[in-house]
Amino acid sequence: MLAVSQPTTDRGRNATRRFLSVERESSIRKRLIARDERALVELIDLATPWLLGVTQSMLSDPAEAEEVVMESFHVAWNRIEISPDAEGGLMPWLLRVTRNRAIDRLRSQRRHVVKTRRAEIYSDIGDAITPPEEPNEAGQPGWHVHEKVQAAMKELPPEQQKAIYLAFYRGLTHSEIAEELQIPLGTVKTRLRLAFGRLRGTLATLKEWIV
Amino acid sequence: MNAHDWYIENQAAYIARALERQEEELFEDHLPRCENCRKAIEEIERDLGWLPMAVRPVAPRPGFTRQITVAVLDHEIRPLWRRVMQPLAIAAMLALVVGLGLVSRHSARLESTLMVTRERLDALSDTLGIMQRAQHILQTTIKGDGYEGGMFIFADNSTKRWKVVVHGIPAAPAGEAYHFWFMCPDGMVKGAEVKVDPTHPAILTLTLPQDFGPVYGASLTMESLSNVSSTPRGKELAHLRL
Repeated sequence: MLAVSQPTTDRGRNATRRFLSVERESSIRKRLIARDERALVELIDLATPWLLGVTQSMLSDPAEAEEVVMESFHVAWNRIEISPDAEGGLMPWLLRVTRNRAIDRLRSQRRHVVKTRRAEIYSDIGDAITPPEEPNEAGQPGWHVHEKVQAAMKELPPEQQKAIYLAFYRGLTHSEIAEELQIPLGTVKTRLRLAFGRLRGTLATLKEWIV
Repeated sequence: MNAHDWYIENQAAYIARALERQEEELFEDHLPRCENCRKAIEEIERDLGWLPMAVRPVAPRPGFTRQITVAVLDHEIRPLWRRVMQPLAIAAMLALVVGLGLVSRHSARLESTLMVTRERLDALSDTLGIMQRAQHILQTTIKGDGYEGGMFIFADNSTKRWKVVVHGIPAAPAGEAYHFWFMCPDGMVKGAEVKVDPTHPAILTLTLPQDFGPVYGASLTMESLSNVSSTPRGKELAHLRL
């Protein structure tokens, strides 16, 4: 069960470790379906930092990143019924909704050039998604999931890490990655397929995202 | 490798949105028809569901989470039909107000135009009435240096009004004016100044003088503007007797 002892999301506050079990996540989902506004507040409090992380890493504009996060919570509140009822499915679903919306924005014509240019700038995957840890972030709800995903990523060969980075965190397509890395399209597909296969094996065991 | 193998190979890429647009559409067309692929996609989505969390979390700016809550719940309070219909209703009301204003202004203009037209019609009707009822119609020629005009009098005894038409004469010289006089037993009685425009006949409606006995004729003179007396002193241009 999750005990929300105090808000922890706004910067500067002393993050307190909270616990979200599968049961608690299921409870939030059910209460969202029942239009319980407290459940929405709880979800926003827990998920916003992670959703902002995804959108800001994909979109260069912080204001646009916030817009996408806000849209995602609109979806969570108004279309919660379509989220998977499976255990531990709520947060991944919300992450997926957010990421897909960010990609939709990226793939509009006006964003395309920016997207590609930024991919060049952040081509060093290590700097982009493995920032130096800040001591107080260990208390961030979900931080251990972040660490596990990071660890899973680091187990991949560097060329697969790079392909995953460009596809998953920069929203590039196969052909765009091939162009970016100057490698054949088939090689990109193979690297991604292998990388996704390995990541599935590692990440499939993650059930509770805050324990 | 058969056609379906392509879908199997690209299931993870579909989840990651790494497929090209046309490939993505192809996949979306395929999914409703293929239960195996749907199940596989669900599994991959579940397995890779945490992958976005490789990205470092970003602390929201102060007040942002509250802003989200308010925005989402406000959206909820105002359902879709209200969110759509309310602005439309406001726009429609504004259009109606503006439209009514325009109609009102247009209506006021129309009313004003109608009133002027009605007044003109009444005046024409009155003019025609005098002419139709006239017991005497008098006409005389006015000749001068290089011009030949004339004067008509339509005398309506029933209303004791005359319609006087002066035409074909030049405008009065500077310092002078044309004057119409009634001929009464006790002398000439001033009728009115006749302002002449050479391009149009001058038309006057004059009421007969009441206190000077019966009117038996009329005269048109050219008077100096300095003549403020009640008797003509200038040159007589036309003279008519009933």
